[in-house]
Amino acid sequence: MKTNRSFFITMGLSLALFIAPSCDSLLDEPQETLILEEGVDYSNTALVHELIEGAYYGLYDIQWETFPLISVRGDDVIPKGDQEPLIQTDVFNYDRSFWMYNSAWLNLYSDIINWHAAIEELERFKAAGANADEVDQFIAEIRVMQGFELLQLARVWGNILIPNSSQTSTLFETAITPFDAVMVYISDLMDEALPNLLDTAPNQRTYIRGGITRHTALSVKAMANLEIKEWQKVADATGEIISSNRFSLFPDYYTLFKTAGKLASENILEFQFSDFGEGAGEEVNYLNNFFGPSNWTPAVDGVGTGWGFWEPSMKYITFMLDRGETERLETSVLFTAEGIQNLEAEYEGTLPPFISNTTREGDIWGTTDGSANPRSIFSSGKHYLPTTEMIPGRTSYGSNKNFICIRYSEILLMHAEALVSGASNASMSADEAVNAVRTRAQLSSISGVTIDDVLDEKFAEFGMEWGIRFYDLVRHNRTSEIEGYSPEDRFLPYPLAQLDLLPQLNDG
Amino acid sequence: MKVIFTAFLMTCSVIVYSQVRISGTVTDAETGEPLIGGTIIEKGTTNGTVTDIEGRYQFSVPGPDAVLVFSFIGYKTVEQLVGNRSEISLQMETDIAELEALVIVGYGALKEKDLTSAITTLKADEILKTPSSTAMQALQGKVPGVQIVSSGAPGSGSTVRIRGVGTLEGESKPLYVVDGMFLDDIDFLNPADIESISVLKDASAAAIYGVQAANGVILVETKRGSYNSAPTITYDGYYGIQRAQNILQPANTQQFVDYALATGSPADEAFISNAFQRYGRSRINTELPDVNTNWYDEVMRSVAPMQSHTFTVNGGNETSRYSIGAGYFNQEGLVKQVQNSFERFNFRTKLDVAVKDWLDIGGNINLTKSEQHVAPEAVWFNSYFAVPIFPAFDETNTAAFPRQLGNAKLLGYRGRQNPLYNMYYSDDQNEAFRALGNVYADIDLIPSKLNFKTTYNYTYNNLNVRNIDFRYHDGITIFSPELEKKTETTFRQNWDNILTYTESFGKHNITAMAGYTVWTRNWQQLKIFADTLAVSPSFDNEELWYFNDPAQEINTLRSGGDGENFTGDDGEVFNGTSYLARVAYNYDDRYLLYGTVRRDGTNKFQEKWGLFPTIGAGWVISEESFFNAEPVDFLKLRASWGKLGNANVDASVGQPTYEIENLAIDDRLESGVVPIKQFDFLDRWETTVETNIGVSARLLNNRLSIETDYYVRDTEDAALTVILPLIRNDVRLNVGTFRNQGLEMALNWSDNLTSDLAYRVGGNFATLKNEVLYLGGQEYINAGSAEFRQRSIVGEPLEAFFGYEVEGIFQNEAQITASGLDPTFVSESGIEPGDFIYKDQNDDNIIDDLDRVVLGSFLPNLTYGFSLGATYKRFDLSVDCQGQSGYKILNRKRGEIIFTQDTNIDSELASNLWTGEGTSNRYPSAAGLRKGYNQAMSDYFVEDGSYFRIQNVRFTYDLNGLDVFGASIPNARVYLTAERPLTVFNYNGFNPEVDNGIDRQVYPIPAVYTIGFNMTL
Repeated sequence: MKTNRSFFITMGLSLALFIAPSCDSLLDEPQETLILEEGVDYSNTALVHELIEGAYYGLYDIQWETFPLISVRGDDVIPKGDQEPLIQTDVFNYDRSFWMYNSAWLNLYSDIINWHAAIEELERFKAAGANADEVDQFIAEIRVMQGFELLQLARVWGNILIPNSSQTSTLFETAITPFDAVMVYISDLMDEALPNLLDTAPNQRTYIRGGITRHTALSVKAMANLEIKEWQKVADATGEIISSNRFSLFPDYYTLFKTAGKLASENILEFQFSDFGEGAGEEVNYLNNFFGPSNWTPAVDGVGTGWGFWEPSMKYITFMLDRGETERLETSVLFTAEGIQNLEAEYEGTLPPFISNTTREGDIWGTTDGSANPRSIFSSGKHYLPTTEMIPGRTSYGSNKNFICIRYSEILLMHAEALVSGASNASMSADEAVNAVRTRAQLSSISGVTIDDVLDEKFAEFGMEWGIRFYDLVRHNRTSEIEGYSPEDRFLPYPLAQLDLLPQLNDG
Repeated sequence: MKVIFTAFLMTCSVIVYSQVRISGTVTDAETGEPLIGGTIIEKGTTNGTVTDIEGRYQFSVPGPDAVLVFSFIGYKTVEQLVGNRSEISLQMETDIAELEALVIVGYGALKEKDLTSAITTLKADEILKTPSSTAMQALQGKVPGVQIVSSGAPGSGSTVRIRGVGTLEGESKPLYVVDGMFLDDIDFLNPADIESISVLKDASAAAIYGVQAANGVILVETKRGSYNSAPTITYDGYYGIQRAQNILQPANTQQFVDYALATGSPADEAFISNAFQRYGRSRINTELPDVNTNWYDEVMRSVAPMQSHTFTVNGGNETSRYSIGAGYFNQEGLVKQVQNSFERFNFRTKLDVAVKDWLDIGGNINLTKSEQHVAPEAVWFNSYFAVPIFPAFDETNTAAFPRQLGNAKLLGYRGRQNPLYNMYYSDDQNEAFRALGNVYADIDLIPSKLNFKTTYNYTYNNLNVRNIDFRYHDGITIFSPELEKKTETTFRQNWDNILTYTESFGKHNITAMAGYTVWTRNWQQLKIFADTLAVSPSFDNEELWYFNDPAQEINTLRSGGDGENFTGDDGEVFNGTSYLARVAYNYDDRYLLYGTVRRDGTNKFQEKWGLFPTIGAGWVISEESFFNAEPVDFLKLRASWGKLGNANVDASVGQPTYEIENLAIDDRLESGVVPIKQFDFLDRWETTVETNIGVSARLLNNRLSIETDYYVRDTEDAALTVILPLIRNDVRLNVGTFRNQGLEMALNWSDNLTSDLAYRVGGNFATLKNEVLYLGGQEYINAGSAEFRQRSIVGEPLEAFFGYEVEGIFQNEAQITASGLDPTFVSESGIEPGDFIYKDQNDDNIIDDLDRVVLGSFLPNLTYGFSLGATYKRFDLSVDCQGQSGYKILNRKRGEIIFTQDTNIDSELASNLWTGEGTSNRYPSAAGLRKGYNQAMSDYFVEDGSYFRIQNVRFTYDLNGLDVFGASIPNARVYLTAERPLTVFNYNGFNPEVDNGIDRQVYPIPAVYTIGFNMTL
């Protein structure tokens, strides 16, 4: 009995004393599934490609609300649907608490800051022996991405903060940069990037086909200088793109915005999306529902509708009809039967036959039983992919469609705008530039183009695209075209959440 | 299963044992007065009786082995073996009996009178009153300082908060310790298997659990047998129905059409005219479409059944005791059509063996298998918003298959609205298997002085999730089938080694404990998702819901562009080792000192080791010689201080990371990495420091008991989101300080009026003040969404609702002009009569974000409960009530209009909208509802959630000893229970219990009516 007990006591205490401390090694077990930068192998140069592709992910992954906020204020388009503050934004009643303001702001700035992080990482790979030319080229491409999004930010908010590293702590002390200085900054940033970029058309690239090249940087530079009316710089940048002869207008304006236009030689910057040729499974797409009709009869049964949020304005349509536009109108606007009825009431002439609620491909727009269309009665055709072109099995509106950002025709017309505003450049005359665009649109040539001709041409060519029209009108003080606009409406108020964080914005 | 139980029951009920009749008188040992209403119970059973006005009793026991337990409030409990006696009379000595009872304190037990901390214990009887799948529900309104937010969905547990919320980023649920095992919840346990639940409320009581104890600790003991008691079998069960109550009335067609037309929106007019075209005009009122769908009626069953059956066998001899149980629980949900239920089987065995007089060895095992079918939450959301002007089933929707369900898109609406799609075309199943058990050895090293106990606890939990969506056409869009499967396994173990030393010399009494424990938790998850299946799934071919088609390609990224992965593999390992010690010292039953310390190490944080001490003191004034307040039998003052940790925070090592993202390049799938330089840095747990002072008292011959506590509980190093400028990547840092403080009080009174009539009254309340003290230098942190802002502001409650104060409705133009609002502001905002008058807090004559104020918190500042009970002869009636007040609910149902403005609204709102001068000072006009100005976050959306509820009414009839057809009925009772029969509140929703205060799609909480039966043989 006594031995028994001693045995147990000895056993018990030994267990407690000897096994116990050995369990402390349990505390050194690392957390599962966590990849740390500390573990990054900077000699693994394959990661350089992963980083640049990650940067392109940031560029292409544009949240749905960013584009409407950039593009809503022109007279080419009217927001419909249930986002009341967006509708109010279109008529210049701004609401700094509106979620879209803060969200679009964060979307653009998060990209810019994450791109700084990517650049910093790329530099570390370069220092560790990665191909220096390639790293420099990738960094230059990222600079162009930053330039493009800074341009969008400044167009919307005017005076903005320019982050210059991935560390946000310095931003509390960073002063805001005035609008004009932002444009100069972007222009200089592009100059800095240019020497390292590929001198080829995006669709001629082998690695990252469709990615950024020298001409993308020149385009962004031209756009920035256009905003501050540095006409000669615009003309020089666009002139260089034109004389590179690497770009051409896609012969068919209609199909440019369909599958055939993916990576066309007209596209200088386009966000790429894909269903990868499969009817199910992985896909990477923009949320095109925003543009789609709230009611339709698609040629391919079962393809989903959209939200009916983005309606080409009656003003745009009648403007196009007055000009005798055919292909560009048919491409840019999709009509419901109700929309056609309203148009007949509004428009004095007879409507051309292509105005129909059935598209070329047989998708029927809007209700067909005579009932009202509760949201948009017209839709943007540039953001439409015919259901017959969709990969069978996919049912989301506009699935597999790319999102075009900068087209060669914009280069031509910016070139013309600069020339008629006083710049000079030998690569192409203003007449030639405008007529190139008109010819593709099956319109007759004109001569002695004026700034009015150029702005009208841009209105016709870029309706529903990136707010180009609004920024043109503001730049040329033609804001009487836009109802309700007064000079203090040029920029949106800073989002409230940002004002709370960055007191210096109150001075902006 | 049901059949087996019924058959078993019938078999049991015909067996009647021979009975021995016992009688006697119970008197006070000092005075010789008869004790009226003393309880005599056959040990280990519920068989018992009470003494009459002369102190006499009489009742039957099965045989001479029975042990009688005599108890009376304020007297020492006495046990007597019956033997061959037929009369047992005794004199009882006064004592503070329940104060002598042992209270489980974690790694040991202490006498209640020796406690210096706040612990509340609930016994099996009280737990079983509540018909519920989870025992925690029974605590609602019973334990001051514990807030229970119940859930009506079958199989889902209640939210439990102890003394407020002290964390923003971490979990706020308490630690559960079941027979020594650490767990996250006890929803899997059969409530009938639980002997007691103890809530360790204050830091002093919980500190022995260290880094996991900051949210409070709940100790659960499962039932065990008794030594030297004959085997008994007990059946306890009930069958009942659940009935949805306080059903929200949506606007009907008449109200909806009136409202929609009154908005003046052409789109709404178009929808209605489309409804005329599609469904014709009503013959009763030709101004309305001939359809009037009440969507709640379409989705909800009027009653749903619920049942529970438990068998327990208990017993023991000199050297062993055992308890064996089997239980079955089944609850159906309130949603029609879709599988919506919870079914659970529980099996348990608990065994203790006294191997030697110095060695006890024992163990238990508890197996649970459950199957839960979850109704899609969207059902509730859609039912509220679906307009009444289209039918649930629509023959004109010919393109739809397999069923022709109505679709609001056919009328032009943005969404299809009909909740029946969620019900007919999906099934979400959670199948869980859990094993919980332990083995222990308890060695007396020095008899009744030094004891060593080693316990190994383990639990294995396997959860299989299967969510399927069928292929269907809604008339406009075809939806592919989708199948998601997920397997989660959790293995946890605790190994405790505890040395306990007890010593008394002179007036000094010491209990000391030292221990070492190791614990690990390993969680693994695997999931797979696909949107094409070999055979189109439906409810008829459940056997084919597998990914077994060899041609099936499992992709890695899910459709829809939200980046969710098709397949996933995840895991988490959380280990810890701890050293712990406790000293409880009692001098002459007058002065108490208590201290514990736990040194906890974990692998989770960079800061590996933490020290969690506590100290407490008590002064039993009633034991002092100078104390002679006659009515006071016992009076103790106590105070304690302690420190706890909350490790339920996602750790972060504080380094930049690489995120992998997919993109398309030239129609090929590529993946890239995005370096994220903003990082969380959480290198430690959150620390809670609490001071508690309390008074325990027994008065008026121990008939009245009072427990009251006041506490101040601060959370330091709280993980906090620090918002960075310009970028979405917010970071979390250990920088916050929060405070919870409150007063808790519980009063209980019980007395016998006559020998036949006894009654008891109890009441309790708790106040709570929740406050943010420090936010790492920030003035506030936003929470909630931008539209429905919640904000944690220094000096205000956590995540308080934040917006405009509504002062009324503008009745006419003159009032707008006279309001002093800037005319430009008025015209730009389009303010008209029928719009809200917001309070211009800063008097700048415009209403903007600077006019927003705190509108209230979702945490109640007062919770209370009270109960009444009376026993008369064989009848017993108990009524429990509880309520909460001083908290707000965000009515997101009404708020959703800002996202989709043309959907339905509730009837109360529709019929009380402003329609002209003097019609409403509360709700805006129909057109106003759609206006951005009125859609700003305001207290129009934030409603008072206060409620009062009759929680439980239970009527019991004791059948023991009744003669039925010449045979005496053994120890048995029948009872009728009404759970939550009445809830009174003003909130415009289904129920005022919303755990985070945001009511978007909350499952209704049904009333439950049951009939139950309990019998011991």
